[in-house]
Amino acid sequence: MRILMLGWEFPPFFAGGVGVVCSELSKALARRGEEIIFVMPSGPLQPTAGTKHLNKFLIADKDFNEFTEIHESVAKSIKLNITIKTIESLLNPYITFDEYQKKYSAVKRFMGKEMGFMGEEGGELYGKNLIEEVYRFAIRAISIGEKENFDVIHAHDWTTFPAGIVLKKLTGKPLVVHIHITEFDKSGGQHANPEIYKIEREGMVEADTVIAVSNAVKERCIHNYYIDGGKIVVIHNASTPMVSTEHARKADVEGRPKIVLFAGRVTLQKGPDYFIEAARLVLQKNKNVLFVMAGTGDMLNRMIEKAADYGMADKFIFTGFYDRKDAERLFGMADVFVMPSVSEPFGITPLEAQYKKVPTIISRQTGVSEILKHCLKVNFWDINALAGKILEVLAYAPLKEELKEKGFQEVQLITWDRPAMECIKIYNKYYKPADKTDKKTKTKKSKKA
Amino acid sequence: MPSVCFYFQVHQPYRLRNYSIFDIGNRSDYFDDAKNYQITRKVADKCYLAANAVIYDLIKKHKGAFRVSYSITGVALEQFEKYAPEVIESFVRLAETGCVEFVNETYYHSLSYLYSKAEFKEQITMHRKKIEQLFKQTPVVFRNTELIFSDEIARFIESLGFKAVLIEGADSILDWRSPHFVYHVPNTKVALLLRSYKLSDDISFRFSNKDWNEYPLTADKFTNWVSAVNGNGVVINLFMDYETFGEHQWQATGIFDFLKALPESILKNKDNNFLTVSEVVEKYPPISELNIPNFISWADMERDLSAWLGNRMQINAAETLYKMEMQVKRTKDKQLLEDWRRLTTSDHYYYMCTKWFSDGDVHKYFNPYESPYEGFISFMNVLNDMRTRILTSKKEEEMAKKIVSKQSPKSTAKLPETKTKEVPVEKSFFLQDGRILRTLKDLKDTLDTMDDSIFYHHVSLDRNDFANWVRDVFKLPDLAVKIANAGNQVETKKAISNYLSK
Repeated sequence: MRILMLGWEFPPFFAGGVGVVCSELSKALARRGEEIIFVMPSGPLQPTAGTKHLNKFLIADKDFNEFTEIHESVAKSIKLNITIKTIESLLNPYITFDEYQKKYSAVKRFMGKEMGFMGEEGGELYGKNLIEEVYRFAIRAISIGEKENFDVIHAHDWTTFPAGIVLKKLTGKPLVVHIHITEFDKSGGQHANPEIYKIEREGMVEADTVIAVSNAVKERCIHNYYIDGGKIVVIHNASTPMVSTEHARKADVEGRPKIVLFAGRVTLQKGPDYFIEAARLVLQKNKNVLFVMAGTGDMLNRMIEKAADYGMADKFIFTGFYDRKDAERLFGMADVFVMPSVSEPFGITPLEAQYKKVPTIISRQTGVSEILKHCLKVNFWDINALAGKILEVLAYAPLKEELKEKGFQEVQLITWDRPAMECIKIYNKYYKPADKTDKKTKTKKSKKA
Repeated sequence: MPSVCFYFQVHQPYRLRNYSIFDIGNRSDYFDDAKNYQITRKVADKCYLAANAVIYDLIKKHKGAFRVSYSITGVALEQFEKYAPEVIESFVRLAETGCVEFVNETYYHSLSYLYSKAEFKEQITMHRKKIEQLFKQTPVVFRNTELIFSDEIARFIESLGFKAVLIEGADSILDWRSPHFVYHVPNTKVALLLRSYKLSDDISFRFSNKDWNEYPLTADKFTNWVSAVNGNGVVINLFMDYETFGEHQWQATGIFDFLKALPESILKNKDNNFLTVSEVVEKYPPISELNIPNFISWADMERDLSAWLGNRMQINAAETLYKMEMQVKRTKDKQLLEDWRRLTTSDHYYYMCTKWFSDGDVHKYFNPYESPYEGFISFMNVLNDMRTRILTSKKEEEMAKKIVSKQSPKSTAKLPETKTKEVPVEKSFFLQDGRILRTLKDLKDTLDTMDDSIFYHHVSLDRNDFANWVRDVFKLPDLAVKIANAGNQVETKKAISNYLSK
């Protein structure tokens, strides 16, 4: 079976949580013998791990394989029967209107003079605004649809939905849309941008099957998007095996301050303010604690001010943007990891924390809490409970040890094999040997004729 | 001619509330009364009252040929008295038929044997008194919490005067032997009644399991299995949780109909009969010895202690609790002691079990916590609050002492100091059962509850640890000589009391 993935990130490209999910799922599918054509947006300002690519502009619809500097993991993926196609685009999975506009003008300034801001077809290379860019991306995808042969279209989140719909209409192949996050989640559950909402809903309506990354997301699709629950399948994400860096940890110095870690985008959705409030309560009981808030986002400045207002500036470390190497170090230091998200469709970081043997406290308002058992859970608004749990993990060594050990055992069993199998089950609903028998009967008929 | 011996376990723990670290020092109402009421009430209606009515009718119908045994924990009885007094009434009515026997266990359904023999013994006495008071019977058969047992427990139980003990018919101790005979541990007379786990679990676990190839289980089918033992055994011990009827197996499964039909079916064969636990012992003397060097129980597949003491949280919780025993008892604070004892209940440790947590299974049953971690957290927070209570009451004790010494001008400055002196940890007396003594008063108080096995571990013909401690640490050679000459707990205590009141 050939699956056309409209996704995000493939190493060395890096686009955050959704990207990891797309590439891990594709690899797991490929390991099970499926063929993957992986289509993703790629532009001059995409953060990539191999920054060498930054000054080379990928040309629309160019096969990635043609590049000489192929990252090792990509080479491995090719062995796994994954073909990567990139589409020149400024999209990234979490982009907002403002961010897109900034990027767009930056690119215009940067490229305008030297290269001419024109695409191959003679039109503008990038859409003037986010919505336009999403549709432009869809149009570019058509050429791939015409060239490639595939059996199923699998699109990840709204920015790829128009492309998915266009390809479905063009080829008649079934469309599976994968919901990692909805507009409602980005705003903490309260409201959604109407234009994006419209595209999201269109994708779900046109899809033959909707995959939700948690029961919470499924509920949202039913209640906020009026999608028939019967066509929604919940497939929880999994974790990528990681090397525990626990052994590298320095021996505990008597009386060293304990470290509580928040790691993620500092946005409303992730509940950073609840982290600050809980920290205040923790410090009232135990002064020997340090709080690390890693990540950046639109609430970061307010959080820094709030910590200062509470007189906790000396107890807080704000790291700003962190990459994967920094993440390694952060998890290596932390005594407890906290994810107090207000609304988290899934939330993959706790899995990473458990891999790094860090006791984990998560809010019940996360999709991942539907599958994790060996961690502590609180309601995001309950700062007393959150502070209590932080103090308790720091106070009771056997609790900490048990969470570390059992959490590690647990996360090792949450592999990508299961979601891949679930996806194949869905594909098989549409891709039946019937397709083959059709051909056979046809050939038989033609023989007879 | 096999006899059938039904024994039902009735137990409801005092569940803790979610007790946060912020509650320490602020509130000492540890137990979730609302939840305990709710559960007791629910199980009373669904199981205890319904099943008692069936058993009562069966006893009347078969004119004494149907007989059963129960063990109802002290904490369950207390909760019935408070929340469902008619359950007590219905058990009293059963007791009055003369066909029902009550078994002794630890009042709090505790693991105390493993940590404090003194506490173990006290809880057994408490439970015996409760049974005598409610049911006008003096139990002669013992069952330890969750059928935890070993050779060592057999000897201890025998020393308390019990005739028999109920234990698990675990494969690990039986090997090729059958559970359908009565056994004993080498060099003891106490009889061992072994649970036939296959036949017991057919009722309590598999009854409603539609994937079971014997489903549905009928009374006649079960009778055939019982009769098949004829010639290969004398007694079939069907030991199970009483909650099997109506709670583990809902009424809709037909469990009550099965129970109603079973005695008649079994008694149809004139070779079969029903016996209570002590009647089994009278009728069938032990046929052979069993060695049980390691602890066994009736829990999980492992049939060991790992359901309660299998991870570091559980072990830490239990050790911390029992380390506080002496301090708690020294405060003479009845409420504190009662709270402490309620925490000895094995269920609290069971809730902390991570073994099967991922699969979510029987451990979940009535588990008030979302996870084993929550169970540990509430428990440890409560212990910490109790510690603050001990510290405050200790201060009061010391203050009281100061007032006394001021009022008695005769006492020299040096004497009261030795009398109340608390020695540093490195000079403390470490009792064999793990308790730690730091003052002469500690020693005196401990002697009240010190078992022979502990006392004579420290005292032999050529050695007396207590005397040496008093001589070397307190520098009281005269008292040391008196202690060395005392030879038993009562005399030793007398010697110390005389000195302290001088």
